[in-house]
Amino acid sequence: MSDIEIVESLKRDLGAKALEVTNPDRRRIFLKVAPSDLVPAVTLLRDKYDCAHLSTISGVDKGEAFEFLYHLASRVAVISLRIEVPRAEPRFASICSAIPGAILYERELQEMFGVSVEGIPDGRRLNLPDDWPEGQYPLRKDWKHVRPEEVIPGGKS
Amino acid sequence: MNFQIPIGPQHPALKEPISLRMTVDGEVITDADLRLGYNHRGLEKLAEDKSWIQNIYLTERICGICSHSHATCFVQGVEKLMEVAPPRRGLYIRYLVSELERVHSHLLWLGVAGHEAGFDSFFMYTWRDREIVMDLLEMISGNRVHYAMNTIGGVRRDLDEGQKAKILEGIVTLRKRSEYYFRIGATEPSFVARIAGVGMLSKEQAVSLCAVGPVARASGVARDVRKEDPYAVYDELDFELCTADSCDVLGRVVVRVKELLQSYRMIEQMVKGLPDGDIVAKAPRKAKPGEVVSRYEAPRGENIHYIKANGTDKPERLKVRAPTLANYPATVVMLRKGFIADIPLIFAAIDPCICCAERTVTLVSAGSGEESIVRMSDLRRQALARSKNAPVKRNAEWPF
Repeated sequence: MSDIEIVESLKRDLGAKALEVTNPDRRRIFLKVAPSDLVPAVTLLRDKYDCAHLSTISGVDKGEAFEFLYHLASRVAVISLRIEVPRAEPRFASICSAIPGAILYERELQEMFGVSVEGIPDGRRLNLPDDWPEGQYPLRKDWKHVRPEEVIPGGKS
Repeated sequence: MNFQIPIGPQHPALKEPISLRMTVDGEVITDADLRLGYNHRGLEKLAEDKSWIQNIYLTERICGICSHSHATCFVQGVEKLMEVAPPRRGLYIRYLVSELERVHSHLLWLGVAGHEAGFDSFFMYTWRDREIVMDLLEMISGNRVHYAMNTIGGVRRDLDEGQKAKILEGIVTLRKRSEYYFRIGATEPSFVARIAGVGMLSKEQAVSLCAVGPVARASGVARDVRKEDPYAVYDELDFELCTADSCDVLGRVVVRVKELLQSYRMIEQMVKGLPDGDIVAKAPRKAKPGEVVSRYEAPRGENIHYIKANGTDKPERLKVRAPTLANYPATVVMLRKGFIADIPLIFAAIDPCICCAERTVTLVSAGSGEESIVRMSDLRRQALARSKNAPVKRNAEWPF
């Protein structure tokens, strides 16, 4: 399937659910859906468009909202599924039921952006240290790293 | 009774810091849990404070083995954002270094696999030959690890006729030696028996757990970014996609060995067909607002960078997903039902690059932690049943 055919087919299959479909470059398609349509859209892409491979999930803090992109790769194109989640209520469903390999990326989102992925099979803290303070989400734009003051045992001489 | 054995974060079997928690039942692993984060450097956040040019050098330092992979993946994306078209000579040199890097990485890995399987002469031979390609890389770039070849719009160093001749000469030697080692492998039954049937990962599991690179290809998943999303020069080169269907460590060795031979082919094609002209095009300092998904087939598998620009000279967001990270869920599956003695072999077989994987993230799948009391006679019965069903493939053959 060529890029144009995929775009047309996506518009047909998703109808009003496809909020925006763009094709900015060869083999790159961006599709926007509402967070509530995420799991059906991923399942459709997996079954009909051969997108069983989730490359990664990327997130951006856009101030009022978080934007997450699910980069799903088929053999002919990368379809990046976009959702926007309001900052005030940052929660959306897990896609692990459709693509088990997503677990890692969802855990990363929870930890780095402070969002809640509902139905995640394993929601433990990820790579951040065990003594990382609650409520600190490093990839939010308003988070700044403050280097803790160095304590020299015994004091400076 | 279940025991948990901690392996790492510092352990002689592992070359980089990672913590593996194995729940074992006798010698057999029943569950595995990975804890990452020992090498986490907050690099994605740091990238938001650096300019486009500074970020080339930052991404290059994500990893020491596939340094060119990350820098190329980043630069490819930034060139799209800035709408700069690098000259063809520059592209050829860039991807020539990519393939040389793949050769050095795969030779390194073959040596490690030989070492973990207890075949240390194989390790010494492959590492000796790796020096040939390391010398070539040093000759081209001036460095052995961080080549610093990439810049936005092309590469920073040109090739002359003498260097081209030396590369071709080196490839002839490497090809001859590689083929010789495959014959040694074929007549070394203990090596094949050690790696066959170890670390099984079925095709369905590889697909559903989103495995990438040689790990996926060894399970019969014919995916390679160079083929399905041919970036830059790869649609002009003649090469084959290498797969194996034995789904075990033997398959992973076979895939990497075949890929070495394909890389030699590509290197020769690129050196012989090197176009004339400039090596770099002038790039603007800032990028227009936009976003790009850049993919690259690193030695370990698909590498993907998502870059978002906001109109300044710094990225709004740089997301890096290194191939090792994508292979961790599959590793947990491979370790299950294996033996404790297979842990280094299975783990080495994904060619883990922990510093790549840990610019953020960890993983998954906890041990149950349940304990029960078993009578001695039950234990003996279990031991007998287990030895009968032990996951060992007998009479394995070298597939060449």
